Amino acid sequence: MQKRRKWQNLVIGITSFFLLTSCGVETKQLERLGLITAIGFDLKKENQIKGTVAVSKFDPMAKVMTNVISADANTLQTLRAEENLATDQRLEMGQLRCVIYSEELAEKGIIQLVNALNRDPTVGNMVYLTIAEKDAFSIISMEEKKIKVNIGTYLYNLIRQNVERELLISPTLHEFNHKFFDYGQDPVLPILKVKKDKVAISGVALFNDDKMVATLNNDKLFYLKLITDEYRTGSKELEFNRDEFSKIINVQGGQSYGEIYNKLFISIDNLRSNTKIHLINKKNLTFKVEVKMDSRLLETTNYLDLGKPANMKFIEKKINKEMESQIKKLLLFFQEKQVDPVGIGNEYMAHVRGKPISQKKWKELYKNAKFDVQVKNTLTKTGTMD
Amino acid sequence: MKVNLHPKEGLLFNAFMLAFIINSVQVGVGLAGLPRVVYLEAKHDAWISVFLAGIIVSVVLVFMIQMLKQYDSADLYGIHVDIFGKWAGHSLNVLYMIYMTSTFFIILMNYVEIVQVWIFPTLPTWQLSLVLILLVIYAVYGGIRVVVGVAFFSVVGTIWLAVVIFVPLQFGDFTHLFPIMNANVKQLLMGAHSTTLSMLGFEIIMFVYPFVKEKQKAMFFVQMGNLVTTLIFTFATLISIVFFASNSLEKTIWPVLSMFKIVRLPNLERFEFIAVSFWMLIILPNMCFYLWAASKGFSRILRRKQKWGVWIIAIAAFAGSFFIKTRYQMNTMTDLVAKLGFYFAFCYPVLLAMIVFVKKWYKRRESKHAETS
Repeated sequence: MQKRRKWQNLVIGITSFFLLTSCGVETKQLERLGLITAIGFDLKKENQIKGTVAVSKFDPMAKVMTNVISADANTLQTLRAEENLATDQRLEMGQLRCVIYSEELAEKGIIQLVNALNRDPTVGNMVYLTIAEKDAFSIISMEEKKIKVNIGTYLYNLIRQNVERELLISPTLHEFNHKFFDYGQDPVLPILKVKKDKVAISGVALFNDDKMVATLNNDKLFYLKLITDEYRTGSKELEFNRDEFSKIINVQGGQSYGEIYNKLFISIDNLRSNTKIHLINKKNLTFKVEVKMDSRLLETTNYLDLGKPANMKFIEKKINKEMESQIKKLLLFFQEKQVDPVGIGNEYMAHVRGKPISQKKWKELYKNAKFDVQVKNTLTKTGTMD
Repeated sequence: MKVNLHPKEGLLFNAFMLAFIINSVQVGVGLAGLPRVVYLEAKHDAWISVFLAGIIVSVVLVFMIQMLKQYDSADLYGIHVDIFGKWAGHSLNVLYMIYMTSTFFIILMNYVEIVQVWIFPTLPTWQLSLVLILLVIYAVYGGIRVVVGVAFFSVVGTIWLAVVIFVPLQFGDFTHLFPIMNANVKQLLMGAHSTTLSMLGFEIIMFVYPFVKEKQKAMFFVQMGNLVTTLIFTFATLISIVFFASNSLEKTIWPVLSMFKIVRLPNLERFEFIAVSFWMLIILPNMCFYLWAASKGFSRILRRKQKWGVWIIAIAAFAGSFFIKTRYQMNTMTDLVAKLGFYFAFCYPVLLAMIVFVKKWYKRRESKHAETS
């Protein structure tokens, strides 16, 4: 009996061993793979897209690690098949880091291309989606010598470090999906621009559904991030008329500087913020945007007398007012363009019982929404001087 | 056939193992898709539905344990024969065995499908199912104590995944949860109903009960096991609702696995591969217990060796795996088993418990009458 048990175990063991190792699962040898790190999509003509991929190789003998392949097709799958025909390596999407859509394509809508990524389980959820200011091809085909690393890695680092520095709203595939599929919010993606052999971020694209309808420059982006997200270590430069500050400008011993400009710039940093949006009136659809922040005053273009508490209060008030008007302007701009990157709709739907309203209905309501913005900034420190 | 089962002293296990058994048998393939199926019914109040379902399970468990306590050391096979007599009892036993076999089959097929979609798209179904079935047979051959051991290790080895589920919270949008209690009672109950497939497994208690050493403690540990399951399920659903936009949650087949895509380790970009692989450890006790309990029927009813049952069921399941090819076939099969499970595990035991109570009460009264007269 004992012997037979052993024999049975042996058979089970051997069968499992052979099954698991020899057949069935396809093998993927690293040296034979071409890993796609970035894909760019351009609109070739009607119903046809041009895809460009940056492929990273593992061949230690090759000098150039990146290979750029371009092909035309109607769907992502055929595109990959076409591209596979143009290389000696098997193309894999597992290491995809960045996807670029041309502006022209983005204006027509990109959701079918994004959905192709969603359906493919080999594509991660943390892929960055971006918009190219002109065409995606010229970004992907940037010469590797000039940027030193693989273009996919470069773009990934470019976006990641800016997201970490809180200069950009994180544009991952997941966040795009989340905002796109939510009725009450619209996605935002960064715009890439070629600047003297370098790729840089020139602003963000605002989407209505999956169509790009407007852009926002980096300066305005601060306010968008301020009301959608929270800052841990942000910074901002604010512009004022110098006349308004004349009573607190400190003239030291008759010395004066900065007089040549009629503007006064104040820059604050170490900014920590927290924003709440409340629906305060359901009937009139009035939202209250409440921003609370703490910051440090670091730089002024005129010498201000910061020793007196009254003066600090004065500056705080000025900053609050300036920010309030900027935020309000921005919200009205969004309203005019029919985009809702802030998620006002989500806030509204969280307060309405019964059957959820359709997206179309919400966009109708959104046109008439009113906003009441309140900023409360506290200047906690003024650096090493007062 | 004897109603009561008196296993040897060496085959008994401690009552606290019941917590692990109930938890490990409940958590299975169902969890991967749970948030979505409940969301389809109860919308953003799905988590309330899941919690409600947990409470219902705990009530059903009270009925089951009370029913088992009426006997000395009986399992469901014995109770059936005691209540309905030889023929009717045995036909019910066979029905229950068929139900458990099909659940075994569905768990196997669902897991194979997950592996095929997420990791190995070209892997033929029969290979993975063969390996899994052989592994389960090996465990069941070791007897009840080995199967309980598998359940214990499954819980200990995978409980950390429950912590990882909280990582996606950083991408959550909590406005999705409001307004709370927007769904009406009917929607909530429909949502609770659709958790059936995930909650299933607790009916195994009716088969392992004779093997519990301290039977008076069984109730406490069974409830503990169910409590942990309910909490895991409720949090998984809650986090999915916060994490996904409503439209994408409705379309994502396995939201819990999709959420793992967010997790990033320093040198591992794709955590879901680990999660899917670990999922095998989660489903292993499910399959072991269903195979064990179904095959136990062979030894109880036909007085053959349990081995026979193990092989017959395993071969049937393996043969069945050749017939299912597409997603929609899987869906219909899974829905069918979920429906069966609703009647076999939720409704029927309660009904049976009532009958047992009445019968025992009647008998007691009769014997009292006999004494007094």
